[in-house]
Amino acid sequence: MKLSDIMGAMALSTYAEIALVIFFAIFVGVLIHIFRRDLRPEFERAGHLPLEDDFRPEPGDAKENG
Amino acid sequence: MATALEKFRYDDDIVRKFTLATLIWGVVGTLAGLYVALILVMPSLSFGLPYLTFGRLRPLHTNAAIFAFAGNAVFAAVYYSSQRLLKARMFNDALSRAHFWGWQLIIVAAALTLPLGITSGKEYAELEWPIDLAIAVVWVIFAVNFFGTIAKRRERHIYVAIWFYIATVITVAVLHIFNSLAIPASATRSYSIYAGVQDAFMQWWYGHNAVAFFLTTPFLGLMYYFMPKAANRPVFSYRLSILHFWSLVFMYIWAGPHHLHYTALPEWASTLGMIFSVMLWMPSWGGMINGLMTLRGAWNKVAEEPVLKFFVVGITFYGMSTFEGPLLSVKSVNALSHYTDWTIAHAHAGALGWNGMMTFGMAYWLAPKLFQTELWSKKLANAHFWIGTLGILLYIVPIYAAGVTQGLMWRAFDETGRLAYPDFVETVMRLVPMYWVRVAGGTLFVAGAVIGLVNVIMTWKARPATYADPEHEAPALGVFEEGSPKHEAKGFAWLARADFHRAWERKALKFSVLTALAVIVASLFEIIPTFLVRSNVPSISSVAPYTPLELAGRDVYLEDGCYNCHSQMVRPIRAETERYGEYSKPGEFVYDHPFQWGSRRIGPDLHRVGGKYPHLWHVRHMEDPRSTTPQSIMPPYPWLLKEDTDFAGIQKRVDVMAMLGVPYGDAVNKAEALAREQAKQIAAEIQAQGGPAGLEGKKIVALTAYLQRLGTDIKKAPAAEGGQRQATASGAH
Repeated sequence: MKLSDIMGAMALSTYAEIALVIFFAIFVGVLIHIFRRDLRPEFERAGHLPLEDDFRPEPGDAKENG
Repeated sequence: MATALEKFRYDDDIVRKFTLATLIWGVVGTLAGLYVALILVMPSLSFGLPYLTFGRLRPLHTNAAIFAFAGNAVFAAVYYSSQRLLKARMFNDALSRAHFWGWQLIIVAAALTLPLGITSGKEYAELEWPIDLAIAVVWVIFAVNFFGTIAKRRERHIYVAIWFYIATVITVAVLHIFNSLAIPASATRSYSIYAGVQDAFMQWWYGHNAVAFFLTTPFLGLMYYFMPKAANRPVFSYRLSILHFWSLVFMYIWAGPHHLHYTALPEWASTLGMIFSVMLWMPSWGGMINGLMTLRGAWNKVAEEPVLKFFVVGITFYGMSTFEGPLLSVKSVNALSHYTDWTIAHAHAGALGWNGMMTFGMAYWLAPKLFQTELWSKKLANAHFWIGTLGILLYIVPIYAAGVTQGLMWRAFDETGRLAYPDFVETVMRLVPMYWVRVAGGTLFVAGAVIGLVNVIMTWKARPATYADPEHEAPALGVFEEGSPKHEAKGFAWLARADFHRAWERKALKFSVLTALAVIVASLFEIIPTFLVRSNVPSISSVAPYTPLELAGRDVYLEDGCYNCHSQMVRPIRAETERYGEYSKPGEFVYDHPFQWGSRRIGPDLHRVGGKYPHLWHVRHMEDPRSTTPQSIMPPYPWLLKEDTDFAGIQKRVDVMAMLGVPYGDAVNKAEALAREQAKQIAAEIQAQGGPAGLEGKKIVALTAYLQRLGTDIKKAPAAEGGQRQATASGAH
């Protein structure tokens, strides 16, 4: 029996639908993640990264690093 | 935690190199485009030379535009922004140089080999195996250099632009390697290990994702860095950019099959491609809005700053193209648009509008910084913007019109139920005026590219005697902390916890591995069933391998890039079966290494051309297409009647095919003798039909043999040795 016989009997086309569900779940996960309130300061800082060509220590930095 | 500041300098020299290369190749690539546009309206411009035909120069144009112009622009953006976002010099200067010169050498090699007809015959992946190997090596050099820089970075958070670059570096490597797998028959000829449907699937998995990960994600990285820089504002919503990224990475990879609607591809695969393509609307428009809204409160700057003008138009074209792409992937729209100029218009809205405008915007922003002087002429930059934008519009509007016009003409029936335009050339003639407008639009865009190059070179001339090389400071990153103490996750609460994603964002390696996994798993989900489910490629017992001579003729077909204008895929649509004959079945292509379905019908489909005309017709038609079809826009191929078929090389080619699993039987031992025998017979028939004598050793005979074979196998009675496969011949009706 060849591998293709085994795989052929597995009705692989439903994989596509399973994958669709998995990927949609991941999408929802990312969505929940980005709306987390406590991440707001980090996103705020990250958004400013392109604008700082030189490193400037920020007031909150030391504390954040614990 | 106080850390000592480290001192470092950025390597801007490499960015200068890539930026200048971008602009130079931009002129070359668009000029090549203009030339092929002209050939279509003035076929005599190919001067009867093999090197100047549309079939050979169009791949040169697309390769130059994508890999030379856009490619160098991507590298310039990556090398400039990564160093600054990561607060580190590139990992290794020697690797940077090797990357730059290696890539330019590859481009030169492409520019030399494609006009010579050295091609693998797969769209957007035409370069032959030695160049493919070089691309893989240079890409690995780039990857090591890039990931090495991330490893020694001094900024903990990896900015979203870098994520887009990471996705690019990983995915392009995967795409390039798997699509290019081929067995060489000589230094200049190799055959794809995949055949027919599977090759088509791999090719458009590659082709689609080359658009996604070579022309979209790196340019989004560029947008997320340079747009905030030029507007002097942070991106509108960092959250949206995260969503944008993950949605693209998870969805884009699925959408490839939409390039093959109504072809011999399994229905479920193309439906899946369609669903994911439509879902792409969300992140794409999110990204467009994010880019444009970065200008909030700064729209007044757009009026005076050419850089912002380029970016605004570029991002707008991103929105338009990503709206149109999913639209084209809807099957009923695709039935009309496929094989027409609609695709060409869509591609150029994306390439000229999105990639072109973003690149020029970046170049104008970079030039004063890199050359440490004022931009030579802001006025000229503004002129470039207007000329370029007008050029794009003059290009795409008539070509959209041409696409819809031809699509409608192909499917038009008269009141008696017959094709309204049975003569294919009628539908071509209708387009010629629109092709002339495209030439005008293309000329403007080329003029803009030249202006851009001149402006930047003049800026470069005004550079200081020695560049200032300022020292920067930042604290080193210590050992990563795992962030705040772990929270206890209950049930699905972990989904809502940020730590998992925050850790990815900070840990480049983990992040890259996951991106790669997303891409590879999605690809496998898509590809494996096509390869392994038997019913997807029904075998047809009467389909036999090409004879050695036909194989040689097929090589001529590949070399001259016939697939650039002719499809070999009759779709199961009444207008097509009326025009061309029986629709194409997957099982008919099982020996096609590589597949030659094509993507545009500038000329008619050829899948059922076998036996349609006498041999002599093909000889006359190749010698001068206008002797058989007076209005034809096909270039003449007179050299096919003069150049000799490489009989000595045929055995090696047959051997490679046999190695790939094509059941050649006897021919593996005496391919050359079989080929000579068939050539003699065809040459005699040509002479009997009143044609010239002495053609038997010429390429025209091999090509004629191949064309006369096309699509004829299903009309034959099943051969005896095919009996064992008959049981699964469900696709043969």
